[in-house]
Amino acid sequence: MRLTDWALWLFTVAFFIFMILPIAVVVVISFTSAGFAAFPIPGWSLKWFARIFEYEPFIDSLWVSLKLAVVATVASCVLGIPAALYLSRSRSGWATTITTFLLSPLSMPMIVIGFASLFFLSWMGFGISFLALAIVHTVICLPYVIRTVAAVYRAVPPAYEEAAMILGASRFRTFQEVTLPLIRPGIAAGSLFSFLTSFDNLPVSYFFGSAQTNTLPVVMLAYMEHQFDPSIAALSTLQLALAVIALVVADRLYGIEKMTVAT
Amino acid sequence: MSKTAQISERTRRALLLAPALIFLAVFFVMPLVDNSARSFIGEDGSFTLARYTAFLTDSFYLGVILETVVLSAAVTVISVVIAYPVAYVLVRKAGRFSGLIIFLLIAPLLTSIIMRTFGWQVLFARRGLINQWLVTDLGLLDTPLRWLNTPGLAIAALVHVLVPFAVLSIASVLQGVDRRLEEGALVLGASRFRTFFEVTLPLTLDGIGTGAILVFMIANGSFVTLVLLGGGFQTLPLLIYQQFNTTRDFALASTMSTILLVIALACLWLQLRLVRRQGA
Repeated sequence: MRLTDWALWLFTVAFFIFMILPIAVVVVISFTSAGFAAFPIPGWSLKWFARIFEYEPFIDSLWVSLKLAVVATVASCVLGIPAALYLSRSRSGWATTITTFLLSPLSMPMIVIGFASLFFLSWMGFGISFLALAIVHTVICLPYVIRTVAAVYRAVPPAYEEAAMILGASRFRTFQEVTLPLIRPGIAAGSLFSFLTSFDNLPVSYFFGSAQTNTLPVVMLAYMEHQFDPSIAALSTLQLALAVIALVVADRLYGIEKMTVAT
Repeated sequence: MSKTAQISERTRRALLLAPALIFLAVFFVMPLVDNSARSFIGEDGSFTLARYTAFLTDSFYLGVILETVVLSAAVTVISVVIAYPVAYVLVRKAGRFSGLIIFLLIAPLLTSIIMRTFGWQVLFARRGLINQWLVTDLGLLDTPLRWLNTPGLAIAALVHVLVPFAVLSIASVLQGVDRRLEEGALVLGASRFRTFFEVTLPLTLDGIGTGAILVFMIANGSFVTLVLLGGGFQTLPLLIYQQFNTTRDFALASTMSTILLVIALACLWLQLRLVRRQGA
């Protein structure tokens, strides 16, 4: 190997140590037997995972976050899939503009979306409620579903659907038996991104704080401001494990390459 | 016949697109417009530019805007410089390791911002792992360094969040580079360095641009990392957060979020121009 290749590889390994170290440290600390968050740990224990289930605000907010992520994802699919199907078959400049608009929530600062929505939704009478939070989460999740489904559908040749229709299938039957199975990996990936985005969101959820709307990240942030104990590490590890499991399951079902055509 | 078909096509289009469009118009555009409008309405209910003139002539607030942009730019430049070699290895050198590299790039994206900042706090605490290495294990220092609440650590944490985006967008452009152009340069006697700097790098400039704008946009709006890791920065998102939390001057917060929004829109416009050029 050439010297420059060695240098490149060395740099890459250093880069991944930088990327992984802060995360690995948290995973290790979540299994500590000590009463404080420090590394290296004196011994192993599961007590901080038990602590999660003893501290009520964690469990309550975990429940809120899960419900919220499901509602926002379902709403994003209902609103987003039809739009994605239409836009990926249209080649006009006008469709590009619409697509840009539908994806634009991704480019706006989250803190501005959160702050602006709080006032507007209160004015509309939604107040600080689960419904209000679900609406704002749908705004930020919708682009993920649209982008992924559109990318997957664009890679599907129109000939499949044309063949079904020529053979006499109705529009609905064509959709159900040809289109839907073909775009399912896109829906799965889009839903996964949407779920994880909602579940992890802090800058928007932060503005909608109340007993019914405190999400897990909001409660974790509040907890961290007063205490620095390993229960935050245990929660984070649990969250990461769930995300990895979801990704692996989606990969087994649909294949990661198919799902990442979009990115 | 053809006329009815045309109408039904139009209805179909409307039915498919309308739900998403109406939803975003009502719950995304209107809140932002309403928020900006509030920054132009004075106490007496009439139109005013007073908040903007006050804001843009106050040296503190001008400093805040400047600091927001400079911090984001610094994070962007560092991310892109780090990302390029990694993307190059991923596309050109990794071979059977490319799957592993992609996994290692995506895994951090699945972790919450809270988890990462927690990790940084543990690593760089006064008696944390890094200081232990530097003082006890390697003996490089006599006394532990103070890392937390320094600008450097906050920047490192922001880079940590954003650099995977830069790697992924640079990698996707590198993948599209026609390698015959590089081979041509090599055959004609250019050195490997010259080939890289005069062929490969210019061909990937658009990808660098797209990645850079993406990183810049996200950096511009981030505040959680800065709230938790400190660093003494005064940026627009941080100030909006503070206004909301403590001072509760909502009109000022609206003014600041409008300015932040304008910066974001400018980035979006630039990004669209770049993407269009790539498409052409």
